[in-house]
Amino acid sequence: MKTFALLLALGMVLGVATPAIVHAQPVPAAQAAPSAKPQADLPSVAHPHDDVVESHGTGMALLFWIFAAACIGGALFVITRRNLIAAVMGMVGSFIGIAAIYMMLYAQFLAVLQMLVYAGAIMVLFVFVIMILNRPEDEPVAPTGRAGQVVGGIAIIYLVGRLAGILMNVVVPTSGAVGMGAPRALTLAPYGTTPAESVPWGTVKAVGMDLFGAGMFPFEAISILLLVAVVGAIAIARPLHPHDGTDADPGTHP
Amino acid sequence: MNDVLFNVGYGHFLVLAAVLFLIGMVGVLLRRNAMIILMSVELMLNAANMTLLTFSRMWGDVGALSAHTFALIVIGVAAAEAAVGLAIVVAVFRGRRSVDVDKLNALRH
Repeated sequence: MKTFALLLALGMVLGVATPAIVHAQPVPAAQAAPSAKPQADLPSVAHPHDDVVESHGTGMALLFWIFAAACIGGALFVITRRNLIAAVMGMVGSFIGIAAIYMMLYAQFLAVLQMLVYAGAIMVLFVFVIMILNRPEDEPVAPTGRAGQVVGGIAIIYLVGRLAGILMNVVVPTSGAVGMGAPRALTLAPYGTTPAESVPWGTVKAVGMDLFGAGMFPFEAISILLLVAVVGAIAIARPLHPHDGTDADPGTHP
Repeated sequence: MNDVLFNVGYGHFLVLAAVLFLIGMVGVLLRRNAMIILMSVELMLNAANMTLLTFSRMWGDVGALSAHTFALIVIGVAAAEAAVGLAIVVAVFRGRRSVDVDKLNALRH
């Protein structure tokens, strides 16, 4: 019953969002091309997709839908399963789908990182803790009264309306006013071809240049944050007293 | 309709990210297992990342930091959050033999 309500809400989201998708189509190449003229302050930056033949990319669109279905299906799996391992497996499927979606956005480096860090490291951490705890969940969804359900339903409808309203007002840039190589229409390359990008957006080189240039301070701050998190995790997770936890190794607490 | 199906644009990516975020939020609000809640939070962070990347692709990178650096920072914060959150889950489980967040009401009275 709860699952059915959940699916209904998601169907509603998709139904409302479809006009938004229609509205937010990329500008045609005829409009996008004139704006790709070199700007005064960025003389050598060209439109990244100048050399891509304008195409509807049917094969790539099919792949997009497949991976989007993997994302959403995996996410639904996470929040509906009672078995925690099944939930983690759904999460891995969702992350793989998200990595493929990143690839379609031409963010290659982040796609690889998504697979390594999320589908690899973080999910292994989750599986480890689940195996340590080894407790099946008794009740998947908290029981709420009729009033709570009504209020929640109204809130969801309001949220969906606001989301759809925002998405319908997505403005695809038409004049080259901002940024590196903007504006750009997103054109999925025809299946089996490799777009030659004249602007290295999302490549390892571009990300590295930014990360170790302007992003140096956040980079160092993140390393300190990770160090603090590791120390804090060890401090929190270990037993307070040597004989407190049953799973504590007596050898480490003389 | 044909256009929606076969002409994938920015709107598709934004709507996909919004739906993922919504699913994550529903998970946080409805589920009572702390592990599932943590996973849903990861899902929401990923959806935010996807939105960031889509808008960066759309408008170009303005200013000093690119969206990729921002997304990498988000991934780092998510990793730290997962580590600390799971440590808290382990500590709570050690004391109470349960990870049901509805039963963690010791501060209420």
